[in-house]
Amino acid sequence: MSVYKHYCSILMSVFAIFACVGKLCAQDILVTATVDQNILTLNDQLKLTLTIHGTQDTAHPSFPAIEGFTLLYGPSISAQEFNINGAVSVRKSYTYVLQPSAKGKFTIGPSTLEYKGKVYSSQPLKVEVVDMPRSSDAQAQNLEKLVFVELSVDKHEAYVYEQIALSFKFYFQKGLPVGDIDYTAPAAKSFMEEKLGDQRQYEEIRDGILYNVLELRTALFPMMSGDLTISAAKVKCNLIVRQQRDRRNTPSDSFFSDAFFDDFFGREQKRYPIERTTDSITLKVKPLPEEGKPKEFKGAVGAFHMEVSTQSQHVKVGDPITLSMSVYGEGNIQTIHEPVLIINKENDFKVYPSESTTQITNREEVIRGRKVFSKVIEPQKPDLKSTPAIVFSFFDPHAGQYKTITKEPIPITVEAGEQEVPIQLTLSHNNVIPAKHQVQLLTEDILPIMTNLAALRNQGNPVYRNPYIAGFLFIPAVVVITSLLISRHNDRLTSDIGYARTRRAHVMAKKRLEEARSMLRQNSPAEFFSCLSKAVSDYLADKFNIPPASATEDKVVSLLQQRGIKDDVIEDVSRCFTDYDHRRFSKDSGTVDEMERSLKLAEELITKMERQLS
Amino acid sequence: MMIRLWVLFLFLLPFLDCGIPSAHSGSLKSKIQNPKSGISRDEAVKLCAEANEKYLQAMKLIASKSIPEADQKLKEATDLYEAVLTGGFRNGQIYYNLGNTYYRRGELGKAIVNYRRAERLMPRNADINANLRLAKGSTKDKELSTEIPAVIKRIFFWLFFLNRNELSLVAISLYVVLMAILFFSTIRRHAGMKKLSIGFASILFVVIVSFGIKIYLEQGVNYGVIVTSECEVRYGPGEEYEPKFEIHNGAECVIEDEKDDWYRVYVKVGVKRGAGSETGVGEKASREVRRGWLQKKYVDLI
Repeated sequence: MSVYKHYCSILMSVFAIFACVGKLCAQDILVTATVDQNILTLNDQLKLTLTIHGTQDTAHPSFPAIEGFTLLYGPSISAQEFNINGAVSVRKSYTYVLQPSAKGKFTIGPSTLEYKGKVYSSQPLKVEVVDMPRSSDAQAQNLEKLVFVELSVDKHEAYVYEQIALSFKFYFQKGLPVGDIDYTAPAAKSFMEEKLGDQRQYEEIRDGILYNVLELRTALFPMMSGDLTISAAKVKCNLIVRQQRDRRNTPSDSFFSDAFFDDFFGREQKRYPIERTTDSITLKVKPLPEEGKPKEFKGAVGAFHMEVSTQSQHVKVGDPITLSMSVYGEGNIQTIHEPVLIINKENDFKVYPSESTTQITNREEVIRGRKVFSKVIEPQKPDLKSTPAIVFSFFDPHAGQYKTITKEPIPITVEAGEQEVPIQLTLSHNNVIPAKHQVQLLTEDILPIMTNLAALRNQGNPVYRNPYIAGFLFIPAVVVITSLLISRHNDRLTSDIGYARTRRAHVMAKKRLEEARSMLRQNSPAEFFSCLSKAVSDYLADKFNIPPASATEDKVVSLLQQRGIKDDVIEDVSRCFTDYDHRRFSKDSGTVDEMERSLKLAEELITKMERQLS
Repeated sequence: MMIRLWVLFLFLLPFLDCGIPSAHSGSLKSKIQNPKSGISRDEAVKLCAEANEKYLQAMKLIASKSIPEADQKLKEATDLYEAVLTGGFRNGQIYYNLGNTYYRRGELGKAIVNYRRAERLMPRNADINANLRLAKGSTKDKELSTEIPAVIKRIFFWLFFLNRNELSLVAISLYVVLMAILFFSTIRRHAGMKKLSIGFASILFVVIVSFGIKIYLEQGVNYGVIVTSECEVRYGPGEEYEPKFEIHNGAECVIEDEKDDWYRVYVKVGVKRGAGSETGVGEKASREVRRGWLQKKYVDLI
């Protein structure tokens, strides 16, 4: 048994292989010719690629007839196989490098290939050889050809609410390293938008050059008539060019110059930003015709169908029947209104608002979907034989006319229900019937007005906008900040001697000058100059937080210079030190006027230093 | 350092919140302006007493089936209440009474607008809430349940039971107490003072944030009420745009933008769909939230 199983599996594998091969062979054969550039100079080289799509089992395609070019080398052959969503495709490429030998416009003739008795040929290509070196404009034009964008619509004239397919295509030459693509969609203010499918990627040949194409599509539904503009779309991207490393021969360089590290650390790559903008598109949107507009029309535009069903066809009076009305087709399914029920007599049915669910079933080429309306109706009479007829009207833009779908009434059987007896205001015991009761509110009224006028005050002036209150809010903050600063100051006076001496230096100096003044009045020159000298030296000792004994002339001058005090002040200080010491210890103590001048000079000097040292 | 920054932040917060309302009030050009009070309290009381009297007379006339006379009295009462409000005297009682007057006159939309305004000024008043619910229950479009859950209201009670003025007074009181504590803590240092100041600072922070949220809810988001019997909401700001759907008297909407004489709104109400529909049954209201443009004259801002 197991042997049979083994043979079976081998047989199935062989069938599968043949099926795949057959699938490959069944593909259409196509020969294409592409170049890397179609305008070049005499110094450039042209890369011509002949590609056979659909098979790899062929002879070389014939080399095309080419004037004005000489073959440098080739062909280099590459074979590729793709499997996209289960669809296998193969191709084989032959690449030649050509050198232009003359300027002018040339046609590269078709290349032919004979395969299984059939001859396939590529399309001819046109290239131009110019002898001038490329200017910057020419380079820019060439870059424009490498990367460009297109915005297009499937129709330039449509009706209001008609579906329009907008396509944005981003072209970049095959093999061009493009990254960081940032797309800005066009603004379409007067349209409703629905995304159409996923982003598409494919290859396309334009003027003999092979491009990769990224395509984004959107379905637009114009909401008003007139000339409507779709603004330009924009795309930003970077050309990522890998730089050549300046390779050295150290062992570490050879290790870290590996491509893995280049990729990982993102180095050796240079990014050139590119920005491309499409043209804007103007559409002519026609209003829906008034002629022939059915009264049931609610604005649906497209091609729709309708199905109606109900689950319960045998009901009692007052029991709910749910009508399921499914509208499906092509158009803006989200915005379509519910079909209309044609009720002959107003009291036949009680109708409730519907609930709806929307499902987009296809958004590849156009928007298709289904909207299901669930509507509850309650028959009110026992003699009703059918549900109301259902009508749905829409405008078909392809036919250019309104269409109406009418669904015939669904037969139903309605039985008489139990009688509803409303609750009476005064209930009699005789009237109490065990029946289905409908609860009624006896009174439903608003509460009376408020009449407490004593509590009436203006609530329209917000407290927080009152300038007096805003001003008042500053007072506690100022008080707290001030008390905080004072507290910190007092703390520092007790804990930081240097700070305390500096802060008190001027006050102390003033006291000493006052003592000197009293000595002057007593005409005691020695004591006067002693006080004056002490006032100046102690002031400076306090300011620099040094012992008073250390406040010598040299030391003080040096410290004053370090603090950037002006030279004239330093000279005055130096002169004072010399003069006061001389007067203290010599018999020439000077006249009273000179002593007064010395006192005044000392006062001015201390004031100046206080200004400059603080 | 962090404590100092925290204290500095709290110093500045009360002054910052004074700027919040003015920043938000400019978001919509056509927002209701609060005129400076032009009439005194005594005048307002006199006019309100007169308006209340007219309203009560109208009630008696309704009871005696004299509808035209009652309508005339209600109109007079409306004019008097409006005169007080136009004079810049705003009070929850007046808005509530005006809402009742409009309700009696059958103008549901205007009644709801005034109940909502009254609710903002008197958030704890049960009568306003009851009448508002009743008026909302009488509207053609049934609003979806967007009420804040009772649990949330209980937890953040201060946000829902206090109006803006009360909340700002609480914030100011807390601020003054906090400043006093900070002042005494600089004079007499005590570990308890620091804990107390951190506690008060935290409460003040919560209250000020709540105040900001309150102002955002009342002024940052613009609510409107439809005050016409039927209003077409269109795809764009103009008559040339096709109607998208209809909403009816008393429906509440959120205004997102404005252009010329149009508001862009979104509504959370039941939507009437076609001739076959019968709105008016609450349980069957469609649950769609839709956007569109409607004319300013059909909407009163809350």
